[in-house]
Amino acid sequence: MNLLTKSTFYYLLLSLVVMIAGGALLYLTIKKVIYKQVDKSLITEKTIIEDQIKQTDTIPDFEATFGHQIEVKLVNYRLHSYQSIKDTDIYDPESDSFIPFRYIFYSGNTVEKKGFIINIFQTISEKNELLKDIGIYMFFLFFSLLLISILINYLVARRLWSPFYESVKIAGKYDIQSDSPLNLPETDINEFNQLNEVFNNMTRKMRNDYLNLKEFGENASHEIQTPLAVIRSKTELLMQQRNLNKESINLVKSINEATARLFKLNQGLLLISKIENQVFHEKRTVSLKGIAEKGLENYKEIMGLKNISVEMDIKNEALVEMNEVLADVLISNLLSNAVRFNFDGGFIKCHIDDTFLILTNSGVPMKTNPEDLFKRFHKNSENPQSVGLGLSIVRKITESYGMIISYSCHETIHELRLKYR
Amino acid sequence: MKLLIVEDDRSLSRSINDYLKLEGHICEIALKLSEAIEKASVSKYDCIILDIGLPDGNGLDLIREMKANKLTGGILILSAKSSLDDKLTGLNMGADDYLTKPFHFAELSARINSIYRRNNFLGLNEITFNEIRINTEDNQVYVNEKLLVLTKKEYDLLLFFMANRNRIITKESIVEHLWGDNVILTDSFDFVYTHVKNLRKKIVSAEGRNYIKCIYGFGYKFIDT
Repeated sequence: MNLLTKSTFYYLLLSLVVMIAGGALLYLTIKKVIYKQVDKSLITEKTIIEDQIKQTDTIPDFEATFGHQIEVKLVNYRLHSYQSIKDTDIYDPESDSFIPFRYIFYSGNTVEKKGFIINIFQTISEKNELLKDIGIYMFFLFFSLLLISILINYLVARRLWSPFYESVKIAGKYDIQSDSPLNLPETDINEFNQLNEVFNNMTRKMRNDYLNLKEFGENASHEIQTPLAVIRSKTELLMQQRNLNKESINLVKSINEATARLFKLNQGLLLISKIENQVFHEKRTVSLKGIAEKGLENYKEIMGLKNISVEMDIKNEALVEMNEVLADVLISNLLSNAVRFNFDGGFIKCHIDDTFLILTNSGVPMKTNPEDLFKRFHKNSENPQSVGLGLSIVRKITESYGMIISYSCHETIHELRLKYR
Repeated sequence: MKLLIVEDDRSLSRSINDYLKLEGHICEIALKLSEAIEKASVSKYDCIILDIGLPDGNGLDLIREMKANKLTGGILILSAKSSLDDKLTGLNMGADDYLTKPFHFAELSARINSIYRRNNFLGLNEITFNEIRINTEDNQVYVNEKLLVLTKKEYDLLLFFMANRNRIITKESIVEHLWGDNVILTDSFDFVYTHVKNLRKKIVSAEGRNYIKCIYGFGYKFIDT
């Protein structure tokens, strides 16, 4: 539930409670006032009649007016002096219904010690009608008041919160790699200004960190590559010398191998950090099919030497929007694994349909957990020289494009399944 | 060939100088951009080996300067930054090739030779070495004037050897040259061995001499016997 609905809902709930309570109170008050008036007139009439009886000792002559009924009775014994005013319903044969009445019962004694009873009935159906009308008007008044105030509340709230939604929209669209820092507009509400300020500062810091990291990545690459290049160049110069003995040759050989390994390691780690930093953000439409074919061509001779047969089962061009270099790294890493871990006379099958690229190859059964394969520096006991970054690079690339890669192995059949779409 | 090495790392520029001298080239070293611009405007070089990150500026400025003054000569960019942007900018500005640090000398040598061949059209699309003749235009190899049928990798390998005659070529540099350095192939040394063996066999069976020697522990050497 969004804020606007929620605040409107609470407002509605509260207003309803207040209005129902207020309405009921008002209704009851009006009712009380009306009844008080009716009672007062009943008492007045009673007093007139009583006075007359007391003075003349006779029952005065009344004309029962409309809605008024007066009954006076004289008895020859004393009565308790008693008065009560009550509601009652009297059957009216004319309309075949009960009509509500207010009546006063009064019993008293004359001077001659005779008792008398006065009953005055006054219809209150009109008063009830009035009360009902007042109730209805009140209801409509309250209801429209409620509607109007909800509407006003909604409109005001929407206007008040609009800078907030504006900020959310801008912040949501913001890309940390963009050239300018996040700049949320100034509003006339202090709280939102504070929030925007916090957001602006936070993203500025994040952006600085990002830029620093990017710079560090580039610097690290430069700073490590140059000494590496020096080591490699010196080693290769040393190799060209004619008077090396066997011991020196072995030393140079070890240095050369270690350098090559360090180079691969540095290259792989830099590639991963570059993918994480989204350095490869230029995208274009590339055909995975084309890349796979090119890659297989590159290994054609190696596969020929290993007697590996290739089967292509292409049903789709597999066009994807991604960085060309990364697409190349992705596919060639998968293919090189399929070639490396294959055995003599094995096979590679490349299947592409409209969602999957499936690479199946024969190879030595895997002993490790398939998920571990994608971890950094996972070493295969069959291949101690392997740096162990190939598949973690593959995973990084697939993650950054929302693709899913999974590996399964059934004895000597290995399957890499890339869900590219 | 007359070469200019523009590299701010003293040790590395010295090594490049030493190796290229072994190949018989005449080399000069510039440690700074200003020095390089001065040298390039005074004398003509067949190829300039150019580092991009220099202490007093971007190496790409030298290319700009050369193009503005219509100075000829091949340019091979040498950089620690393997980012695609730099590579494309450099090549678009008129550099001939791009090599990422750390590189193998054999690779550097092969690239310089290839730039030189491309920039000097007259009669240089042919490499002749004793009984072996390579036409780099239509990628044909002749031994004793008889056409030798080679696979693409074998052809690349032969050219690589030709560019590095009498030098030891490591197996690593052959792997990188033939399959590129994006791929981490570890047991590919066996494939290098097989390719070398096949190439040697083909040349010998066409009555060529056996020039490729295996050097224990390091790799191979193409020897002019």
